[in-house]
Amino acid sequence: METPTPERTKALQEIARKMRFHIVDMVYKAQSGHCGGSLSAADIVTALYFEIMNIDPSNPKWPLRDRFVLSKGHACPVQYAALAMRGFFPVEELGTLRKLHSRLQGHPVAGKLPGIEVTSGSLGVGFCEAVGLALEARLEKSSWHVWALLGDGELNEGAIWEAAQAASKFSLDNLTAIVDRNRLQNDGFCDDVMPMDSISDKFRAFGWETLEIDGHDMAQILEALKKAKAMQGKPCCIIAKTIKGKGVSFMENKRDWHGKPPNDEQYSQAVRELQGETL
Amino acid sequence: MTTLKKTEIPTRKAFSMRMAERGAESEFAVFESDIGYSTYSYLFGDKFPERYFNFGIAEASTMAAAAGMASTGRTTIVSGYGVFLTMRAVEMVRSFVCYPNLNVKILSSHGGITAAIDGVTHQATEDIAFMTTLPNMKVLCPCDPASAKKAFDLALATPGPVFVRLMRDPLFDLYSEDDLKIPAKFRMGGSNVIKEGTDITIASYGDILFQAIEAADILAKEGLTAEVLDLYSLKPLDFDGITASLKKTAALLVAENHQARNGAGTAIGDYLARLGMPAIFDHLGLDDTFAESGDYQGVVDTYGLGAKNIAETARRLILRKS
Repeated sequence: METPTPERTKALQEIARKMRFHIVDMVYKAQSGHCGGSLSAADIVTALYFEIMNIDPSNPKWPLRDRFVLSKGHACPVQYAALAMRGFFPVEELGTLRKLHSRLQGHPVAGKLPGIEVTSGSLGVGFCEAVGLALEARLEKSSWHVWALLGDGELNEGAIWEAAQAASKFSLDNLTAIVDRNRLQNDGFCDDVMPMDSISDKFRAFGWETLEIDGHDMAQILEALKKAKAMQGKPCCIIAKTIKGKGVSFMENKRDWHGKPPNDEQYSQAVRELQGETL
Repeated sequence: MTTLKKTEIPTRKAFSMRMAERGAESEFAVFESDIGYSTYSYLFGDKFPERYFNFGIAEASTMAAAAGMASTGRTTIVSGYGVFLTMRAVEMVRSFVCYPNLNVKILSSHGGITAAIDGVTHQATEDIAFMTTLPNMKVLCPCDPASAKKAFDLALATPGPVFVRLMRDPLFDLYSEDDLKIPAKFRMGGSNVIKEGTDITIASYGDILFQAIEAADILAKEGLTAEVLDLYSLKPLDFDGITASLKKTAALLVAENHQARNGAGTAIGDYLARLGMPAIFDHLGLDDTFAESGDYQGVVDTYGLGAKNIAETARRLILRKS
């Protein structure tokens, strides 16, 4: 397994930083949307879109492309930012998030925007759709891989475990689930709303392989994604420990920032914090 | 007297028999939730195991996974009981099948109170309301084996989601497969005149169509002629066919194995009101009530959907005309 150079890892971290700026910027412009769970997933999404996935922005429907399913669909600002930065559509369009006639709907909608594979956002459902996609790759005897990004709160949904048992039954080693384990959900800390530990034990009991990583450590993320893709005979779940709101000090680990837009002052501070040498 | 030949084959089986035949030349996949021996989807699974996915007793994920596969362009067929597919999995049908307008076809068995003996938990008596309300969805309900086979072909040939309501019990042969070779005899948005008459139109679909035919026979003995319509296409409905029949009869009774609210009856009543069409009109269905377990004919009669009650209601409507 090829290890990315320190330079490449650093470059990806820089992309993630810009992605975080776009997340805050588009939610600010929309005055609506979900910063916290988008920011927590930015490093994982960066690794997928800029290093791991076989995709071609100039040919978004390329039949052999990998499929990314944002099962935690409310975090679509992170996916929209990744798609725009990767060249699927103009970056300027990010400013239309949640506005009338925009292709950037409040939750991802297939067919509206290049690079969105399935409609998702009702929690638990995207993961089921990902199982259907992985079965399709199997039917086509094709090697494309399906990547599903799940929230930890989302794991409360029964449909998640239906999909998990099906993926295991069908030995879908072409499917990887990544749980954005930020330990917060809408109403508070996951442990208070509905404790899910141990997520690894649960997935293993369902017949999955599991990996636990720091979801903000780019080297660990890359290594885990590569391992998961190479898995044979069973699906793999990566539990990525993250911080909700990561990168913006006042948003970090705060319940309020699940689905609230920043005001002018907060936006300015967030931009200052996310500003590197260039944006 | 209308003499109809009893059949051994319920519509759920006829539909699946056709599905197993068509699997040879069409690359669709079938998703099942552990009632394949009841919906007869196993007939397909036995022939094409690589395209048959049994998700166990898990209707919601079955529907969503079928949507996921269909998002790639492959047609998928989801088999199950109507009561579960249209209620437990209704959100998956709405947001992930109908909204993206995917080629997902729903084989929905045990429609209406035809699952009579199983009781209310297994009777799908609101399925037409849910499914006809969803944008992009089309809804069919064949009444006999020949039309159930044709419904499969029509569902497969029609782009987008199609819901096909099927029945548990075998009843009669109304059509022959030869009849239905004429495309106009079974099409999206079509209906068929089963009996001609001038005093009233009785419109029905699925199993209750046979009660309607019997009701027309009862009325005939009294010298009244009822025109019987098979409304096998519930969405779109054949408003032109209904209007044409009403021009002859000026009275319409819709009888359906469904809640009276939000079935075909209310859709037609709404249409007539918008059109300002003068017609004596009523509709029969479950009257804001659940049914119960029991033998099929017993439950149908108890809840007002038997031939006698249809004939009696029709008679009252005819009297209102004068």
